[in-house]
Amino acid sequence: MVNLEDLKKEAKAVLEEGKVKYIIGYEKSANGLMPVPGFIKSPEEVEKLIWTPACVYNLTKFLVDEKRRKSREKKPDERPVGLVVKGCDSRALIVLLQEKFINRDDVFIIGVSCEETGVIDEKKFLKKLKGKKAEKIEFDEKDNFMVTTQEGKVKVAASEVLAERCLECKANSPLIYDVILGEKVKRSMDNPFQSLEKLESLSEEERWKFWKEQLSKCIRCYACRSVCPMCYCDECVADTINFAVTADTTAEEKAQKIKWLEKSPVKSENFVYHLVRAIHLAGRCIDCGECERVCPLDIPIRFLNKKLEKDAKELFDYEAGFDPEQASLVSSFKDEDPEDFIR
Amino acid sequence: MKDNTYIPKLAKIIQIKEEVGGARPIKTFMTQFIQDNSFSFKCGQCAMLSVFGKGESMISISSTPLIRDYLQFSILKMGRVTSSLHEMQEGDIIGIRGPYGNGFPMEKWKGKNLIFIGGGIGLAPIWSVLHTALEKKGEYGDSMLVYGARTSKDIVFKQELAELRKKMKVHLSVDVEEPGWQEFVGFVPLNVLEIKPSPKNAIAVTCGPPIMIKFVIQNLKALGFEDEQIYTTVENKMKCGIGKCGRCNIGLHYVCKDGPVYSWAELKNLPQEY
Amino acid sequence: MEKVLDKKSFPQWVTKLSSYKVYAPVQEDEAWNYEVITNPEKVNLDFPNTVLSPKKIIFPQREVYLEFSSSDEDGLELKEVLPEEEPSVIFGVRPCDARALALTDKVFSGDFEDIYYWKRRNQVALVGLACSVPPSPNCFCLSVDGSPFSTEGLDILMSDLDSKYFVEVFSKKGEQLINAAKTLFKPATEKDKKELEKNRTEAKKRISRQIQNIKKIPPVLKGMFDSPFWDEESMSCLRCGICTYLCPTCHCFDINDEVLSSSPLKGRRIRTWDNCQFPDFTMHSSGHNPRPDKASRLRQRIMHKFQYFVDRYKNYQCTGCGRCISRCPVGIDIIEVLDKVSSYEG
Repeated sequence: MVNLEDLKKEAKAVLEEGKVKYIIGYEKSANGLMPVPGFIKSPEEVEKLIWTPACVYNLTKFLVDEKRRKSREKKPDERPVGLVVKGCDSRALIVLLQEKFINRDDVFIIGVSCEETGVIDEKKFLKKLKGKKAEKIEFDEKDNFMVTTQEGKVKVAASEVLAERCLECKANSPLIYDVILGEKVKRSMDNPFQSLEKLESLSEEERWKFWKEQLSKCIRCYACRSVCPMCYCDECVADTINFAVTADTTAEEKAQKIKWLEKSPVKSENFVYHLVRAIHLAGRCIDCGECERVCPLDIPIRFLNKKLEKDAKELFDYEAGFDPEQASLVSSFKDEDPEDFIR
Repeated sequence: MKDNTYIPKLAKIIQIKEEVGGARPIKTFMTQFIQDNSFSFKCGQCAMLSVFGKGESMISISSTPLIRDYLQFSILKMGRVTSSLHEMQEGDIIGIRGPYGNGFPMEKWKGKNLIFIGGGIGLAPIWSVLHTALEKKGEYGDSMLVYGARTSKDIVFKQELAELRKKMKVHLSVDVEEPGWQEFVGFVPLNVLEIKPSPKNAIAVTCGPPIMIKFVIQNLKALGFEDEQIYTTVENKMKCGIGKCGRCNIGLHYVCKDGPVYSWAELKNLPQEY
Repeated sequence: MEKVLDKKSFPQWVTKLSSYKVYAPVQEDEAWNYEVITNPEKVNLDFPNTVLSPKKIIFPQREVYLEFSSSDEDGLELKEVLPEEEPSVIFGVRPCDARALALTDKVFSGDFEDIYYWKRRNQVALVGLACSVPPSPNCFCLSVDGSPFSTEGLDILMSDLDSKYFVEVFSKKGEQLINAAKTLFKPATEKDKKELEKNRTEAKKRISRQIQNIKKIPPVLKGMFDSPFWDEESMSCLRCGICTYLCPTCHCFDINDEVLSSSPLKGRRIRTWDNCQFPDFTMHSSGHNPRPDKASRLRQRIMHKFQYFVDRYKNYQCTGCGRCISRCPVGIDIIEVLDKVSSYEG
């Protein structure tokens, strides 16, 4: 079991030594069960850190923020940022390293293993509690969670409330770390790509109908893009403004920027946005599930990325986020790559 | 359609004059409404110009309201809409809606000396009030123009400035030395210090790049001008032009509606977020 | 006018409103949203609150307002596109969402009245549903001058008294709706009114969250513009658009041209919701951005809602629905931020 005190001790040590600027971890929220991202700047503040099955967020996104922040400062603090990562989060970090978006010494990785369970899906969890308010949720032995409500403590089987992606997990323990807490244990509940089975069993017409319905709901809040660590482009296909504009950018360049999609949240534009984003994430998405968690309209967009993840594996035997030295899928080729689509 | 301010009125471009060429070109457009000519405005107000298919852009009207036949806009090529305008020919149709904004409070300036200080394209918003004051010479005191640009090639309204010299004091400047340039060399705020306009019974109106405005105001204050005597215009990204889309606010003010004209006394109390 | 309606008769009332376009909350999976009702029998008011407020019916997320095309006559032809004439009713409007519409009414009036907003607003009747139980654990309507049974912005307010609804009518529009099914309504008795009072006293007590010292906030905010407070509070912000798009009082919009054909030119001008939390919201054509970072954008959101709007309209631009708190992907809590503001010493 991961001992929270050990986590705090490691965090405190590295802050006291001045090794990191600050640590990004999970902090208890003043309101509710779900934690919030915490930015621990001093050794005293490490008391705020928590580690519970509700620590769902992928904190890797904040490394993208940190890079943007540094580029705006005249004399940036060059020390690394400390980051608490789970197994899936560490894969996101590896993709950022693969793509050379960050350097290994930009981040001090405090890895935490999910051991035999994982993190919860908040909606599934609330449904399971049937209206009772949960005050606390903790990891328990083996594959259970211990939930505290006003009526007392109750054991809940993890498999009933785990996030979908935890049931298809490929890395329940961080693959890259400077310190590691918890043990790497084999989990029994993992069945890769099982969540796609239902959609894959539908006919093409049924699938088209499904996605038409779902993507019509989209309000283009771009939360899915904002939360994804791999969506770090300054010039995104969805924006009509190019953020890489400087004082030297000519009027022609600005005028000629292609409007790939309209701002209108209509079916056609929503399709373009989501499908293009999914394709831009092919071979890069590591299924942290954040995009689906944050969507206010509960659109199951994770399926789009998951399908491409499956294709990457089946067609090219490629899995993102395992090896920092591995080339990215779309910018490399092997002689054995399939050619049956070339006529 | 008549009372709907969002719908532009169609206007024809009757004349295009190239003021400045090169990498940052400026053109002056004269436009005439095709049907409805009831448009009337105050100095300092702006209009939303539409290039249908590209978008809209809020541009200050640089002709004087005393001219009813046409509206004049001087436009710097900057992005999508302005590039499209620069590619247009005489006879092409655009849309114009407005007038928007608060305009210069010229009634408060009656009898006062007017000092116009402009830089680059910033002369355009001042042009309207400058010519109106000249036309109504008896109502105002003495007028003076201090204007500068990066190089002599970047000076707008060159011909008109030559004419203007016959009617009022005109002090020109360029930022760096160039062969053949006889007048002041240096930034506009320094020229202001050099000229030393008197703050007695005077109003200063300044428009130009934000950094120039900052130092002009500093130098005017050093010369004894009070905050209420200094006026400037502010620009911000605008879409609706009528204070509803929420985009151009500085504090509780919408620049399109409560501005763009501000005295320094008012502007210094607003959040410096523009 | 005070009436009582048997809960069992409610679907019949809706059925009698066939000359109106009827909207009501509809459940899909776990989420509720306002949809056009095709089967009046199925209208169910047993819902917490919707994801998107009824603002989207009066101020739609996308609205074509002008069409343009090449013409031989003047070179170009413009056609104004006004909203359809269709009297509508929205059932199940929570008092916070109705108050929010009363606030957006202020924005879209004044100089240059917005014809598109008002055409829709004037043809819609709002039938509210008071909250006996807070729809969300993050409700805080009482803190921002609202209440679970506020009538502001509503034509009718229904209050759930178990087997029946207490129905209060405030406008001619509301009266017309009642008259369409007059026989279903009985006058409210003294007993009914007492039950309502009790229900409301209890309802107020159930709201657990509140902003401390909200009256202190506008003047404190005025002095906080340059404070590093915003940088700290916005550190975890992802600059997505959820808080603003879900907010019932937010009204910012964008205007864009969509071209259907370039030669001959044919297209339309569209207004869509926009979001001050998006990085490109205030970006000038030149590339200069007055709000280039998350801190300045969070500051804009809070100061606009709790200082600028107060100065201009004497109301907080927030009705306490709690959606931004519940759906923020990183748990940024506006009540927490405001509590820190009211105790700020800088």
